[in-house]
Amino acid sequence: MRHLGIALALALSVPVAGCVQTRQFADLQFTPPQGDYRLLVMRPDVTVNSVTTGGMPEPRADWTEQARANVINALRAQQAARGGKVQFLTRRNELRGVSEDTVADLERLHSAVGNSIALHKYLGAYLPTKPRRGLDYTLGSEAVEVGRKTGFDYALFMHAEDSIVSGGRVALQILGIAGCFVGFCAPNIGGGGQFAYASLVDLKTGDVVWFNVVQTGSQIAGIKMGDIRSPAGAEQLVERLVGRMKPGRDVRRTMERR
Amino acid sequence: MTRTPKLILAAVALALSGCSSVGDGGGFGSDYYSLVRVRSVQVGDGSLAVTAPRPWNKTRTLFFFDDVRWVEDWTLNGPLLDSISFVSGLPSGKYLIRQRRTDDRQVPKFRSDMSAPEITSMLESLYRVRGGSIDFRTTSLQPRRFLGANGFQFDFEHLDTDELWRRGRAVGAVIDGELYLILFDAARSHYYGNAIGDFEAIAASARKRR
Amino acid sequence: MCLRCYELNRRSLLVGGGAVAASLTTGVAQARIRPADMRPLIGPGFRPTDRDEIGLWQQMQRVEEEVAGSNLLIKDPELIRYLQTLIGQVGGPAAKDMRIYLARIPEFNAVMFPTGFTVIFSGLLLRMRNEAQFAGVIAHESGHFLRRHMIRMWRDMRRKTDIFAIGAMVAGVAGGATGVNTGDITQLAQLGTILSLFRYNRTMEAESDAMGARLLAENGYPAMEMATTWEQLIGELNASARHRRKRRDRHVGLFESHPSPEARMADLKASAAEVTLPGRTYDNRRARYLQAISPIRKMLLDDQVKLNDPGASQYLIETLARDGWNGLLRFYEAEVWRLRNRQGDDHRAAQGYAIAVAYPDAPPEAWRWHGLSLMKAGRQAEARAALSRYLAMQPNAADAPFIRQMIS
Repeated sequence: MRHLGIALALALSVPVAGCVQTRQFADLQFTPPQGDYRLLVMRPDVTVNSVTTGGMPEPRADWTEQARANVINALRAQQAARGGKVQFLTRRNELRGVSEDTVADLERLHSAVGNSIALHKYLGAYLPTKPRRGLDYTLGSEAVEVGRKTGFDYALFMHAEDSIVSGGRVALQILGIAGCFVGFCAPNIGGGGQFAYASLVDLKTGDVVWFNVVQTGSQIAGIKMGDIRSPAGAEQLVERLVGRMKPGRDVRRTMERR
Repeated sequence: MTRTPKLILAAVALALSGCSSVGDGGGFGSDYYSLVRVRSVQVGDGSLAVTAPRPWNKTRTLFFFDDVRWVEDWTLNGPLLDSISFVSGLPSGKYLIRQRRTDDRQVPKFRSDMSAPEITSMLESLYRVRGGSIDFRTTSLQPRRFLGANGFQFDFEHLDTDELWRRGRAVGAVIDGELYLILFDAARSHYYGNAIGDFEAIAASARKRR
Repeated sequence: MCLRCYELNRRSLLVGGGAVAASLTTGVAQARIRPADMRPLIGPGFRPTDRDEIGLWQQMQRVEEEVAGSNLLIKDPELIRYLQTLIGQVGGPAAKDMRIYLARIPEFNAVMFPTGFTVIFSGLLLRMRNEAQFAGVIAHESGHFLRRHMIRMWRDMRRKTDIFAIGAMVAGVAGGATGVNTGDITQLAQLGTILSLFRYNRTMEAESDAMGARLLAENGYPAMEMATTWEQLIGELNASARHRRKRRDRHVGLFESHPSPEARMADLKASAAEVTLPGRTYDNRRARYLQAISPIRKMLLDDQVKLNDPGASQYLIETLARDGWNGLLRFYEAEVWRLRNRQGDDHRAAQGYAIAVAYPDAPPEAWRWHGLSLMKAGRQAEARAALSRYLAMQPNAADAPFIRQMIS
């Protein structure tokens, strides 16, 4: 029984300077919600880690809470600019007609689905049975049930991980880079960075119809990239993540032809 | 609050070679998975043959140190959501997975005189020790013919550290002292139901080759 | 199959983080702090006034919400009430009405927050032999918040990790050439985030030890039980390592020196002697503790034994058995051997099951495994009898169809 984690971890990375990468995936027929739609923004799944000297990211509850609050505020501000009726869930018991446990289960399922999309469509562990373009993932009938009970058309999920370098890591970085000059590049885990994704679920089908990934990596520790523990950093991330939703490929082609 | 795998680790680990080549579609050129077509295929060390009712993805044996020759894994949507594992004649005294002799907690080895309850106990250990399952429940253990022998069917559920409940079914038999097993495991919500039919078709199609 | 990415070894997480466990290895290497000098720095109804502490409290309240929403919790109202009462007594007036969250994680750990909640891992409850031992751990934890260790450490940590302060840093080397820890690592859910929050230094651990001894004695418990608890913990880690033929894990804080936990135990014993008043009776209230734990004890043993760490599990069971063997403990001792599965272990386990079923409190599973062992040994008639007994005790057992077919 294969240990996926070890397999992935052993693939070495190549150090690059700080950069921001973002990439959207959508169902071919996807059109961004317009007009009179009802959107449920789920509680963002946020983790902020401290990267210690040993290189392991350790999740910290206080930084996580700080970041989560910022992300929620940023989402509110961002969605206020668009049309549609939006509800922001800040607690699991705020969705009328649906129990806390159901909301929790949906969050947990989406976590697995969202991570799978990130892993298998974006991070390189491609699945040959999946279409090259477009998305082929669903939350299934649980999501449809929630849609039915609450009348929402779409649900927006967000996941954000940030790793903050703690003191020791900086020296480690320098070590790694110095190593490069001697001919052996000590691969480094990165000087901290963000990984975030957002997914839009069509609650009539339960399918994930749009997915966006933002990755900011600063391989040089000490270069700060929009730390989401700060309001500004959270705003920046949210804007990159959900601010520029593009239609699916088929729809774009049709639009281009006109 | 859900717990998620550390995708940052994955991100940097998966050899992203620069800002420009992000998430490039892929297609059939996958380093990690190969396509299982809809025809009879040999699995594990080749002593078992099965036919899938639709295309699946086979996990490539990239890093042999974690590889056990008689075991092969497939997935449809990715191992976080669903998987089918094949054990093709695991000999007595071998382990289902590779582990270090010095690991504090270990999965027990298979012995040819194991009864079905002992084999399922070994599988439970696999989930608890390797998978980190917090709760593991046997739903049922019943006799079932497999590969022409008297075997068993094992149904179970488990709660993992990502707080997601998963459900599984295994059919297996010990033939000539070796373990043959097909194990299906998936998220209880949607994904189990989605592929249990595939599992049953695959199990029905299974043939011993030698 | 278990293809969850990024599995953390609970033990490495445990040893590296978590208030209680970290204190095991940091140890004490300076003059012992006297219990008499330990006075609480906060009282009941304490509320922070400093801005940063207020901010931390607000975050802790949200952390509690997340913890409360975890489905890895054990919800047993009576047990929780019992623990709450204990904590309220031993933790001093500031610990009254603490909210208790019992996590189903087979590790020895507990974290107490000044905002009024405690997370206890089920492995802790399993390892405590009596109320005094459990109270000792609580008292130690209470020491951290009564002496305001948390806010001090938190402020210290914030200073050090301020990302704007590039340059003033501690040097370090990555673990292993790749910098990636390829050991088994299991990720805990939200519960994992609380473990790395508070790391105390050696002085603080010493203060908590001293305060713990004092609180224990004041509440009529034998303070020596604190030393015994640490002794048990060290013994377990040693037994685990010995079985795997390696040295005990020392992966905590790579660059701290490690004064021996034995030195710390000496201090604990000395402190205990100081606070023990002659002529006063102290009671470890073992019976009451076992009674309270009894509804979940089987589950706790099950979770531990099924991890298949035979050195640790055997040591643990033998420790618990110092207070008397029973069917449950004999059964799980046999289970340890069955899972260990070394040369001769199947025979050992078979004998163990036979012994277990002689006790009135032997669980149904003992009969099941006893029957299966007999069947393997070719003693068909006895096997059938044992398995029938199992089915009679648990007619709706999940494996009943298979067992029935075996005996038909």
